[in-house]
Amino acid sequence: MVNSIFLQLLTGLQLGAIYVLISLGLALIFGTLGVVNFAHGAMFMVAAYLGVVISQAEWGGWGMAIVLVPIILFGLGLLMERGLIRFFYTRPHTDQILVTFGLAIVLQEGFKWYFGANNLPFATPDWGSGIMRLHEYLPFLEGFVAYPKWRLILTAVSLITVALLFALLQFTTFGLVVRAGMRDSEMLRLLGVNISQRFAIVFALGVAIAGIAGVFGGPVTQVDPGIGMVFLVPSFLVVVIGGMGSLPGAVLASFIIGLAISFTATIPALANIIVYLIAILILLFRPRGLLGQKGVME
Amino acid sequence: MISDNASFYKKDILPVTTFAVVLLTMPFWFRYIGGYSGLDTKIVIWIIFAIGFDILLGYMGFLSFGHAAFFGTSAYFTGLMLLHYSNNILPAITVGVISAIIMAFIIGFLTLKRTGIYFSILTLAFGEMLHSMVLSTLQDWTGGDNGLTGLPTPMLFDIKMQGDNVFYLTVIVAIVMYYIARRIIGSPFGLMLKAIKSNQVRLEYTGVHVARYKLMGFVISAVYAGVAGALMIVYEPYVASEFMGWHLSGQVVIMTVLGGVGTLFGPMLGAAFMLYFENVVSVYLGAQWLLVLGAIFMATVIFLPGGFVEAGSRIKKALTGGGK
Repeated sequence: MVNSIFLQLLTGLQLGAIYVLISLGLALIFGTLGVVNFAHGAMFMVAAYLGVVISQAEWGGWGMAIVLVPIILFGLGLLMERGLIRFFYTRPHTDQILVTFGLAIVLQEGFKWYFGANNLPFATPDWGSGIMRLHEYLPFLEGFVAYPKWRLILTAVSLITVALLFALLQFTTFGLVVRAGMRDSEMLRLLGVNISQRFAIVFALGVAIAGIAGVFGGPVTQVDPGIGMVFLVPSFLVVVIGGMGSLPGAVLASFIIGLAISFTATIPALANIIVYLIAILILLFRPRGLLGQKGVME
Repeated sequence: MISDNASFYKKDILPVTTFAVVLLTMPFWFRYIGGYSGLDTKIVIWIIFAIGFDILLGYMGFLSFGHAAFFGTSAYFTGLMLLHYSNNILPAITVGVISAIIMAFIIGFLTLKRTGIYFSILTLAFGEMLHSMVLSTLQDWTGGDNGLTGLPTPMLFDIKMQGDNVFYLTVIVAIVMYYIARRIIGSPFGLMLKAIKSNQVRLEYTGVHVARYKLMGFVISAVYAGVAGALMIVYEPYVASEFMGWHLSGQVVIMTVLGGVGTLFGPMLGAAFMLYFENVVSVYLGAQWLLVLGAIFMATVIFLPGGFVEAGSRIKKALTGGGK
């Protein structure tokens, strides 16, 4: 009994770990720039493919992939914001959605063309393969309890990323400006802060976090061209449940959703729609989301 | 909008007649531009879908990413009726469209209180919820991944609904629905939808019960989706699970935007273009047709927000020397 609850808890955290990495970027970009990025899932997909390619390349390897993928994605994010998104700040919101949706299609189809539609195998590195004998460390577990090592690493990486992001926003001047920008960007502009440059970095940061999700989450999920869209929809719901533009809300909602899926896994009919049910309940009874601010997107 | 009925009818007669003539003569000219029989029926079905979508996006200003929910719900109920009740299409289509209407009331109630972006996300989410329900929770009824198979040949009383019969049925429905759409847009109700698009907060302050109009607009657009979904099953008696998927929702978004939102004519053109592109031009492009289409779509959103219709009016302007 203890064992199964513990394992479901762990699985829930691990599912939440991927959602949190994708939805943090979404919430960050939405909160600062007011842009809903329908191509965010595609960024996750790109990162997973880059992870496969770099980790298996002769010149590459897993260490290289972990370092390079988020950096490349950061660059990609900068390129996307400077080259495309910034022209859409003054256009209607629907246009922003449409153009990022178009970009998602182009990326998805481009990758399908080059890599094929099938799932690419994404092997974990030697140091992250195999299982972890949890009962050796946790005395309250009964008998033999093992868990895939990579999934534990993924969860840990995700938690560390969240902690670093919050530290960046909370304790640095850059973070101060960004938080102020999330509150009232117009005021900040009037005060003479170069906000567009910082927002470009924020956008790239959000995409880079999706990059971390891709490289660490890829071996757990699948690596195929459609994977971005598969994760985009629940990530949107995470942002809605947590409260649009609220980062702590996104974190909280990710783990709630992860746990909900994991604890209903024995009832497949429920597990497939539990995320939506939670979202409906939130919409009906707390439209601004769990930790959403009053008046924001209520 | 107060206008005398005479000019009202006059305004509609020319476009609707042109539309009718173009569609009705389609079997005679369509094959000369590479089309084949059957594709024309499909185009007409998508035109109906796109007209309804334009009422929502173009006139009311709400971008739904979950319209497959209504197309699919209607398709499944039509299929189930044909399978279990009778192979007559009248009760099947009726039940199909009613199911789409009920679904629209539920989803509309949950999503319409939200602003633009929020609405897009939520419709996408609810659409995907139905899709995943069809694939798992409800698979005993829907056939899951395989879709609903083994449907009988649809009949309209004694007439077999195959080939040309289906084509002319869909064309007649399309003409009627196009005419209705024009009347809706030109009516005081249509004006209200446009007012919602330009500023719904201000409209609320003038004492209008905005929520009711939004729900109405949403349901009307779902009726079009439902009719299209039902006709799709009459055209091809097989319900694919993709009819519920976001791909289908995305497709109607793409064709509406490509053609030009808020013009009714544009989305119809967009629907025809997209189906033509998917089935005829794709022969030359191979599996990458969707990549090319995505690029065309992006370019349209970036450079030509008004779609084909804007392109047309720009060309016209250039030819007539700016018209100043």
